[in-house]
Amino acid sequence: MLKRRVIVVLYLLDGFMTRSEVFRIHQLLGHPIHHVERLVEWDVDELIVIDISTDTPKFDTDRDDYRYKGPKDLLGFIHQISSNCRIPLTFGGRIRTMEDIQLRIQNGADKVTLNAVLDESPDLVREAAEKFGSQAIVASIDFTRDGDTAEVVTHHATKRQGVTPVEWAKRAEKLGAGEIFLNAVDRDGKASGFDVDVIQSVVDAVSIPVIACGGAGHPRHFLACLEQTNVAAVAAGNTFHFTENAYPNLKTFLKSKRDDIR
Amino acid sequence: MSKLELPKITWCKKCVYPSPSAIPMHFDEDGVCSGCKVGTEKDEIDWDERLEWMLELVEPYRRSTGPECVIGVSGGKDSYWQTHFVIEKLGLRPLLITYNGNNYLDVGWRNLMRMREVFNCDHHIFQPSVDVLIRLNRQAFRRMGDMNWHAHAGIATIPMKFAVEQNIPLVIWGEHGFKELGGMHSHNDLVEWTKRHRLDQLQRGYDWRDMLDDDEDPIQEKELSWLEYPDDEAIKRVGLRGIYLDMYSRWNVKDQVALIKEKYGWEEATEPFERTYRTISNLDDRYENGAHDYLKWIKFGYGRATDHVTKDIRAGLMTREEGIELVRKYDHVKSSDIYYWLNYVDRSEEWFDTIADTFRSPKVWAQDTDGSWHKMNIWDEQ
Repeated sequence: MLKRRVIVVLYLLDGFMTRSEVFRIHQLLGHPIHHVERLVEWDVDELIVIDISTDTPKFDTDRDDYRYKGPKDLLGFIHQISSNCRIPLTFGGRIRTMEDIQLRIQNGADKVTLNAVLDESPDLVREAAEKFGSQAIVASIDFTRDGDTAEVVTHHATKRQGVTPVEWAKRAEKLGAGEIFLNAVDRDGKASGFDVDVIQSVVDAVSIPVIACGGAGHPRHFLACLEQTNVAAVAAGNTFHFTENAYPNLKTFLKSKRDDIR
Repeated sequence: MSKLELPKITWCKKCVYPSPSAIPMHFDEDGVCSGCKVGTEKDEIDWDERLEWMLELVEPYRRSTGPECVIGVSGGKDSYWQTHFVIEKLGLRPLLITYNGNNYLDVGWRNLMRMREVFNCDHHIFQPSVDVLIRLNRQAFRRMGDMNWHAHAGIATIPMKFAVEQNIPLVIWGEHGFKELGGMHSHNDLVEWTKRHRLDQLQRGYDWRDMLDDDEDPIQEKELSWLEYPDDEAIKRVGLRGIYLDMYSRWNVKDQVALIKEKYGWEEATEPFERTYRTISNLDDRYENGAHDYLKWIKFGYGRATDHVTKDIRAGLMTREEGIELVRKYDHVKSSDIYYWLNYVDRSEEWFDTIADTFRSPKVWAQDTDGSWHKMNIWDEQ
């Protein structure tokens, strides 16, 4: 039996680890280095790092009274954390070209997520999958919900695509993506639970693994998503920052309820 | 002569907080800081419901004998309020724990000593060797421009360590300072104490082991075991958790200070401070409103007056214009406790100034050809 994963998502804004809410409200939580140290201690299944900076990319964490020298840019950060990290690493955000993908993988990323590329240059998805293998290419699909209708949005949820997550996911699979990272914009940071309906509709539509994200605020939310859908993995960002040993405590809880947890 | 080009600083449109700052803070597209935005959540929250949540949360920690929770206290206004709240509103028996970093003002020490008289609970005080403290003061000042690193680390470590040793799983903290000032979290996060926050924010990445490899002010491993934080195994065994009172109870400094003065005889500072107008804060540490805070000015170009003004503007106690005048009056002042500290650590003012200047942030300061330092100021903003 393929075990199901619990994935940690780390949002970066100007190099700071960030609390995100509905993709619009951002609060800086500190330097990511100690968070990554904790993730290593917790032996997390996987880490997805998404750079959500929209302005000119800058890593602004450096200060003379802090223990660690802050990396100058994202590649420096990837390098810094991948050098002593056995956790499978996925990097996303600000990826537009083959060179962007290549640099991330060369510096230690196992996978990359592509979001705007699915809209701007779908051929790049195919070419990247051919070059690095589908297992390295994750289609990042963000959606909003209006009643029963779910619609894909890209570019930090600023651009509406007029298609459903199911259509977008099928297209991504066809282009060669090896995995879908599905995120509910309206539930981001709301701690109101996963959108199990949309998640299951995407899982049903594709044969590649789906990672569900958006809305986790309580261990019961993860359990509900695992029980009510066939996702390969559940993921969350904020909730792992808020309490001590949040990840191992969640794993212990899920394992006490199910035997398919990695 | 060409005009000196100053790094760009922006200030929150509502309070007076600058960016860049010493604490993580984010500005929205309207130029309002995350601290102000999180502050407005307080009006939306049903605080009666929050108190119910807290009572539910503490229920499993009630015991028939012995202390039911630990409170780390300095003897300050928040310590009194927390202890009052825990006893009166939660009906718990706390054990009070204090880290004494040897920096108390007389009035702060009197307040601390009074706690076991006015509250019906026991009080432990941990006081490290003064010789070790002096070396820690000097080393941390040289390495991170902060003589008070020992105090941040001691306050963040001793209560948790003691709770583990005494097998008391619940530790009750007061305000989440980074949430309150910088808007690090939402009140909806019900954020709790974490090892990561302690190391990353409260100790700026430095743990006790980092202090052992210094040649100029050597410290032995055996001298610092008191700063060793409990490991995950111990945390799990005890079920240790630290909760913040201000996630469950609306923090209102003005009312809280009035209550503790009236009910418990808490005293505010009798002498005004040189770097801020407030006389109710930081009485447990002579440098927090002085030398330590002057270093914040050196590093980031602002100080405690900006912090206090920010809090008071958000609480509706003053206007932004009134606040700016106070910032202008206090933030740059080089306070006289620096000489007290230099005597304590046996060093010269020149030594102090030379080291301090190496910590000036290039994001804030520019140096002129005559060696003087300059920065943008809030009263010059458009």
